[in-house]
Amino acid sequence: MPPQIPAHERLLNLVIALVNTSGRMTKEQVRRSVAGYQDAQSDDAFERMFERDKDTLRELGIPVVTVTSAGHGDDIGYRIDLDTYALPPIDLTAAELGVLAMAAQVWQDQAMRTDTTRALTKLRAVGEAPEANDLAVGLAPRVRAAGGALAPLVDAVQARQAVRFTYRAATTGEVRTRTVEPWKLLARPGGWLLVGFDRDRQASRSFRLSRIEGGVRLLGAPGAFAAPTADELEAALTQWAPREERLAVLAVLPERASALRARAVPAPEAGPDWAADPAVGPLLQQRDLVHVPFRSGWELADELVGYGGAVLVVAPVELRRGVLHLLRTAAELDRPRAEDDAEGRAHG
Amino acid sequence: MAERASDRLLRLLGMVAYLDRHGGVPVEAVAEQFGVSTDQVMADVDTLWVTGTPGYFPHDLIDFDGDSYDQGVVRLTEARGLTRPLRLGTREAVALVAALRAMDGALHAALAPAEQAVLRSALDKLTAATGDAASAVDVRLAVDGAPEVAAAIAAALRDRRRLHLRYVNASDVATERDVDPVRLVTDDDRSYLLAWCLLVDDERLFRVDRVLEAVVLDEPAHDHDVPERADVYRPHGELVTLHLASRARWVAESSPVEAVRNLPDGTFEVDLLVEQPAWLRHLVLQVADDLVEVRPARIAAEVAAAARAALVAYEPLGE
Repeated sequence: MPPQIPAHERLLNLVIALVNTSGRMTKEQVRRSVAGYQDAQSDDAFERMFERDKDTLRELGIPVVTVTSAGHGDDIGYRIDLDTYALPPIDLTAAELGVLAMAAQVWQDQAMRTDTTRALTKLRAVGEAPEANDLAVGLAPRVRAAGGALAPLVDAVQARQAVRFTYRAATTGEVRTRTVEPWKLLARPGGWLLVGFDRDRQASRSFRLSRIEGGVRLLGAPGAFAAPTADELEAALTQWAPREERLAVLAVLPERASALRARAVPAPEAGPDWAADPAVGPLLQQRDLVHVPFRSGWELADELVGYGGAVLVVAPVELRRGVLHLLRTAAELDRPRAEDDAEGRAHG
Repeated sequence: MAERASDRLLRLLGMVAYLDRHGGVPVEAVAEQFGVSTDQVMADVDTLWVTGTPGYFPHDLIDFDGDSYDQGVVRLTEARGLTRPLRLGTREAVALVAALRAMDGALHAALAPAEQAVLRSALDKLTAATGDAASAVDVRLAVDGAPEVAAAIAAALRDRRRLHLRYVNASDVATERDVDPVRLVTDDDRSYLLAWCLLVDDERLFRVDRVLEAVVLDEPAHDHDVPERADVYRPHGELVTLHLASRARWVAESSPVEAVRNLPDGTFEVDLLVEQPAWLRHLVLQVADDLVEVRPARIAAEVAAAARAALVAYEPLGE
């Protein structure tokens, strides 16, 4: 028996055969003539081997196309389409290849890492020289892992194919199946988001990838929905766009909150004279007035509450209410209901 | 683990396209180009040499100049139609372009002008080669800290110099220290400086937004033995469990949690390892609205007392 031909060698032979065929190759021709397929022990084994190999090539971006011949009925042939096989003309310097290698490292997800590693292998073929890694020494940009949902969602956005997944709503904890036309994926502080059109709600919605439970199923054919118009997309993305910048006026105890002070800006010239304010003036005997720009009120309230009484919000009043609300709720934490009380003693 | 056949196939195809563009290339240079050993390159050449079009007679096969090869130089003489580099798959292009755009947005302050230009030209070339595929994904990385702090950290990393930091920790205590910078880690939430801290003689992660001042010193940075995964924050300390309403799910998504348990009523529990009590108190203050229970229970009492003290301080301001 001749030695078995390893899978990578069989795959390469298949690529070369399908690139060089004058018209097309039928499955039977592949089985008879391409080195590696003679190892298949049965019809079934060959079928499985050939199907798997075809999938592998397509997954790698090699365009294996099906060619039916007129007059031969179900006689299907295959070839590799050289017009779409090739990368458009591109030359990369060693430094550019180095930047691309760094970009490949940004992804923390296994599936996306596999993709970027493959892309890099392909691009090395058009690199003048090995990648230069001295470029951005010591920089490690990365985006958090998004989980198994990311790769199929990228495919679905690209193919304009609807998806279905199980989603846990944050507000209620309710777990429900959602059917969505996916528009765009966003990585933002706080995690990964899918923005799309919710078919059940008939409106655009955002979904956190971390709340998708289980797998993402692609529904129907590619190109099944129209891409969102620029206006629709913009409207759906508004809530994730940075807000307008505002100014918080804070009364800070000496030597405290240096991280806030580091972000401080000078007091606006046309601003109110806080020292003359009957409520604020006396506070400034022991506190410094610090002006900090912010965009998200609740984010800043979350940050400020950590300083407790060391940082007081003078203005704007909505920000102060936000902080006071958090403090009042927290002040009740040790006056719980009866059953919690019992537990508290048991632990105490 | 053995290399996957698909990855090996990609390299074999890449090698043929590369060698076709380059005439004779020493085995060592091919190895460097593709990031593999010289043994691997020779094994790959052996494979290429026996593959070709059906028939597999000598003229059907991929071929190399045997004399050159004996002298350690790979010279391709027959490519069997594989001269063109393979295009990028859709997801491959999306992933790379999105990462480059994110780097372009976030690392601006950390890169010298020449480096910014390289990043931009790589992005332009790749976008030209892949079309507008990348609009599917938009990655924004954190841009933290003052620009002059980011610039000083980047300069110190680039020139391998020691840094003097003024840093404030989660307990609002500012300290001064000298560090040898190792890496600037930028993710979608924050930037961290991984550095060897000379004050504690150990590696430390510093949040860049808490670096009040960074000064590049004349002294060179020394090399230190820092583990590969040191830039992933792993807290040690007391185990604390928070029982939270569903709305507070962001806690599980944004903190390094040990475990998450979903309960039948839609609430959930997270286990956290707490290194800095101030950090935990801050977290509990933020989730007070959605907190069902915290274990151990003394933490609730501590946080409530701190909140009452803060409310007293607020009294002069009214509502």
